[in-house]
Amino acid sequence: MKILEKALLIEILKGLALTLRKMLFTKPVTIEYFDKVRPVPAPGFRGRHALVRDEKTGDTLCVACMRCVRVCPSKCINVEYEVDKETRRRKVVKYEIDALRCVYCGYCEEVCPVNAIVLTEWYEYVGLKREDLFFNKEKLLKNWDEFIATQKRPYLNPFWKPRGIPEKFLPAKKRQFTGV
Amino acid sequence: MATYLEINKKQVNGEKWEEPFYLNMGPQHPSTHGVLRLFLELEGETIVNCTPIIGYLHRGVEKLGENLNYNQAIVLSDRLDYIASAANNTAFALAFEKLMNLEVPRRAKLLRTIACEMARICNHLLWLATHALDIGAMTVFLYCFRDREWLLNIYEKICGARLTHTYVRVGGVRQDFTQEIIDDLYKFTEEFPSRIYDYETLIDVNRIWLKRTKGIAVVPPEDAINLGLTGPCLRGSGVYYDVRKFRPYDAYGEVNFVVPTGKNGDTYDRYRVRMEELRQSNFIIRQCLDKLPETEGEPVLAENAPDLLMPEKIKKPEPKPVPKKGVIFRGADVPVVPPGEAFAAIESPKGELSVYVVSDGSNKPWRLRVRTPSFVHISAIPYMAKNHMIADLVAIIGTLDIVLGDSDR
Repeated sequence: MKILEKALLIEILKGLALTLRKMLFTKPVTIEYFDKVRPVPAPGFRGRHALVRDEKTGDTLCVACMRCVRVCPSKCINVEYEVDKETRRRKVVKYEIDALRCVYCGYCEEVCPVNAIVLTEWYEYVGLKREDLFFNKEKLLKNWDEFIATQKRPYLNPFWKPRGIPEKFLPAKKRQFTGV
Repeated sequence: MATYLEINKKQVNGEKWEEPFYLNMGPQHPSTHGVLRLFLELEGETIVNCTPIIGYLHRGVEKLGENLNYNQAIVLSDRLDYIASAANNTAFALAFEKLMNLEVPRRAKLLRTIACEMARICNHLLWLATHALDIGAMTVFLYCFRDREWLLNIYEKICGARLTHTYVRVGGVRQDFTQEIIDDLYKFTEEFPSRIYDYETLIDVNRIWLKRTKGIAVVPPEDAINLGLTGPCLRGSGVYYDVRKFRPYDAYGEVNFVVPTGKNGDTYDRYRVRMEELRQSNFIIRQCLDKLPETEGEPVLAENAPDLLMPEKIKKPEPKPVPKKGVIFRGADVPVVPPGEAFAAIESPKGELSVYVVSDGSNKPWRLRVRTPSFVHISAIPYMAKNHMIADLVAIIGTLDIVLGDSDR
């Protein structure tokens, strides 16, 4: 029996039959990217950085608490601020992210107490020069405008308020947060 | 080269000197799975001696980790074995939790177990794909990548990244599952056994596959232990050892699974062990999913877990000021993390991955040491490759399942 099976190439024919069956009766799993299909990433995908634009003031929500700077494992965020002498509030002067250094861990959006920074679900970004992926404040705000135009409002990033995390770990402003 | 490789000259016919043939395989060779360089001493097509040379992907992860706090160090662990990063995350987190005496909530344990087993399936699928491709089976490669893609899409929903997850954090996990993810995983676990059957139909009894794998790189059980092999490579030699069974961590204590072992210790047996592990992983995920509703609504992070942004110093509350001139009362520093040392080992898809950490009380590890399976497995290549053909070396590298990011660190 074994000799007959060997002579008739049974096991190879079985394999070929499987391939033929898959070819004829199943749909292709490959997609024609860019021309026909543009896959939508899952909510919470950690993609291009953006600073949330405050709709009242048109500026960033950032309060320059420097938590994102300290938590960043690759040290790719650079923030400079000045203190208003009258109101004693900090105002962001410079907010820079080097996207080429970033490891996309999403810690910055998790520690931000006012949900000012976000890693958007925008994955199609390239740069032809190094400067293209060095985001300053204006570019980050522009990234947000580009991103939010494609989203349903109110938008809530899962990492702003991670599911299942005890309330104790969330800053007060995040507990009641429902989206922008 | 001659500084650390002894070139053996052989005397033939009394006066004529004949040098053996030397060949460099890698570091750009596609089947060395990265940047492994093998310095071969050949006699005809047979390997007489083989010296692996590593270090082309060295990034200094251990040293980097000593300059970052505990939660940030987990980000680095993603980049060790980038095919199964959830397993690395867990190893780091377990060591840090032992150091801090944290008790992880049960739901987080179950979620970690699911993530780890998904990582195992991802890893074994990629291993099967590349191993089969190296040996010459193209179709399996495509089928494996199709199924791996499915899991990566689920990972994307779980934690927002496909390869470098950073899903586990000290004291639990980053995020809970949604109902959508659980449904997806149920669908996957139902469908996956039939996919394994497909791969086996293609290569299990294929005569070319059998000729390339049976009797290649035989490692007897004693030698496997002496060489320090772990994981499927050790079990392929017939040694019944699995960290998940012997020192259960996370939720492995409460699930049933079988630890498959081989008999002959050759490449084919290691292949069989890994195929069986795919089934067992699938079974474990299924059991964990069934247990998830019991813990519905529980937090996924321990109450006393450290914040992502660990403070550099914690001061004791100041004592009441005593009215005395010239004396300033300041609170003394309290250690952020208890000083001491901790060790944790897990069964990563490639073998035993263990982390040793020493703390001096600050928010950063004073010493971080990682023992990765790939590094040890590479050291077994000279033993396994001896008296084999060059073509078999490709099968040997494939069967050890090495990743150079894991070995060089």
